[in-house]
Amino acid sequence: MIAGAALCPSPPLLCPQLTGRHAVVPELRTACAEVVRRLLRHDPEVIVIIGPAAATGAWDGAGRLNPSVFAPAIASTGTGSAPLALGLGAMLLDQAGYQGRRVLQAVGQDEPASACVRLGAELAATEARMGLLVMGDGSARRGPRAPGYRDPRAVTFDAEVERAVRSGEVDALRRLDRALARELMATGRPAWQVLSGAMGSLAPAAEVLYCDDPFGVRYLVAYLSPRP
Amino acid sequence: MTEATGTDPAQDRRPPGTLRLNQRAFEPDRLLVMAIVNRTPDSFYQPGVTWDAAAAMARVHAVVAEGADIVDIGGVPARPGDDVDAREEIRRTVPFVAAVRNAYPDLVISVDTWRHEVGREACAAGADLLNDTWGGWDGRLAEVAAEFGAGVVCSHAGHLPPRTRPFRVAYEDVVQDVLDATLALAARAVDVGVDPARILIDPAHDFGKNTWHSLEITRRLEELVGTGWPVLVSLSNKDFVGETLDAAVDERLAGTLATTAVCAWLGARVFRAHQVRDTRHVLDMVSAIRGDIPPARAVRGLA
Repeated sequence: MIAGAALCPSPPLLCPQLTGRHAVVPELRTACAEVVRRLLRHDPEVIVIIGPAAATGAWDGAGRLNPSVFAPAIASTGTGSAPLALGLGAMLLDQAGYQGRRVLQAVGQDEPASACVRLGAELAATEARMGLLVMGDGSARRGPRAPGYRDPRAVTFDAEVERAVRSGEVDALRRLDRALARELMATGRPAWQVLSGAMGSLAPAAEVLYCDDPFGVRYLVAYLSPRP
Repeated sequence: MTEATGTDPAQDRRPPGTLRLNQRAFEPDRLLVMAIVNRTPDSFYQPGVTWDAAAAMARVHAVVAEGADIVDIGGVPARPGDDVDAREEIRRTVPFVAAVRNAYPDLVISVDTWRHEVGREACAAGADLLNDTWGGWDGRLAEVAAEFGAGVVCSHAGHLPPRTRPFRVAYEDVVQDVLDATLALAARAVDVGVDPARILIDPAHDFGKNTWHSLEITRRLEELVGTGWPVLVSLSNKDFVGETLDAAVDERLAGTLATTAVCAWLGARVFRAHQVRDTRHVLDMVSAIRGDIPPARAVRGLA
């Protein structure tokens, strides 16, 4: 049973340790903190963090981000650390003071939509009151200063994701094209399709807390609450 | 000129400790800028620029804003020139120390003097550190520091009297001579009651040294750092930079900053400087390379 779903992006810069002495996009961090607070407000029995990674698989609930892989000056927390998106999700839960049960679910970057949807449905098929923390980013090719420079298709792609989320029409996320998403460096595609599968026929009410691309990458922060 | 006292640097090695100045405690990984504020009409760099009291206070405001941790107030140029007696030196520096103390209760105030009479008045007016550039010429200066709970800089001036230039100075081993002189001064300061956490050593570039000597003490700065005493370096726009680069006094910033970076990398902790903002940038850059501080703002590749 899905109690609610929080959508957050997964750039390393979400981790305060990695960005140095000055605040970087504080409004993005505030939005992520707020959306996680909302997720916890429903007192879920378990939080499932869903994030893209090299391959599909479950990670130990104790998994955390190892900031050292991005900033070697920071002491390593050891090998075998969680993939970026899952590690950042775990960090957001830690920042919110969440100490309950958590599952870290990776979904392979190349997983076809059908497999993503199936995975989502399996996750949702449990009696436990479950909160989803879905970590994923839109295109990283949104302009001349973007990591992937400029691709004219990026705006359309991201607009469709935003529309689907805002309208609660998460079904539409299943139709995101895998090859196009890869070309656009939109890493969130498989995670969003897992979300779509988990929501099934629920038509959630949605609120978007942040939707911008300060560094040429689309970041979307939203909260979805299923309507009975 | 070398006094072979048998100091064995290996034997004297100890880890660096906390430096205490005013009410503040600075850990070894914290690099400090000491801003020069001269109350003189005739110092070598931009002579007379802060001779006027209002101009001097304006400079204090500016250097604090640029990141200075310490101001070093001096009333007598290092180079030979018109005589400045203790009374005149006090007149130039002490009321100004009091004014700076009043404006900045937490700022570390250093006074560049070799005279204990000046040191006493300066400490009474609020100075935290006596920067004895002339190598303990007046033995009572350290006693004044002890009396007021102030700190002291123990320098190597090549055994020269104040305000004299080196003349055909020669050392068997200049670094050994610097170690012998500064460690003896530090030991004596401890003996007369100065808090060991408030003692620094300074090899004193250009003082009693030719350019080759100043380059050598820079190259081998680790031997000073290895003593555990916090090392202060005073490099700013000095003649050894000028001679190394064949650069006039207003063309020495790049050379000064290069030397600053090398000294910081080798472990110096306090940097006496004219150009505070540039020096702060160099020190922050070195600290970040060492991993002692994070970048100001890192986004590249992390979006």
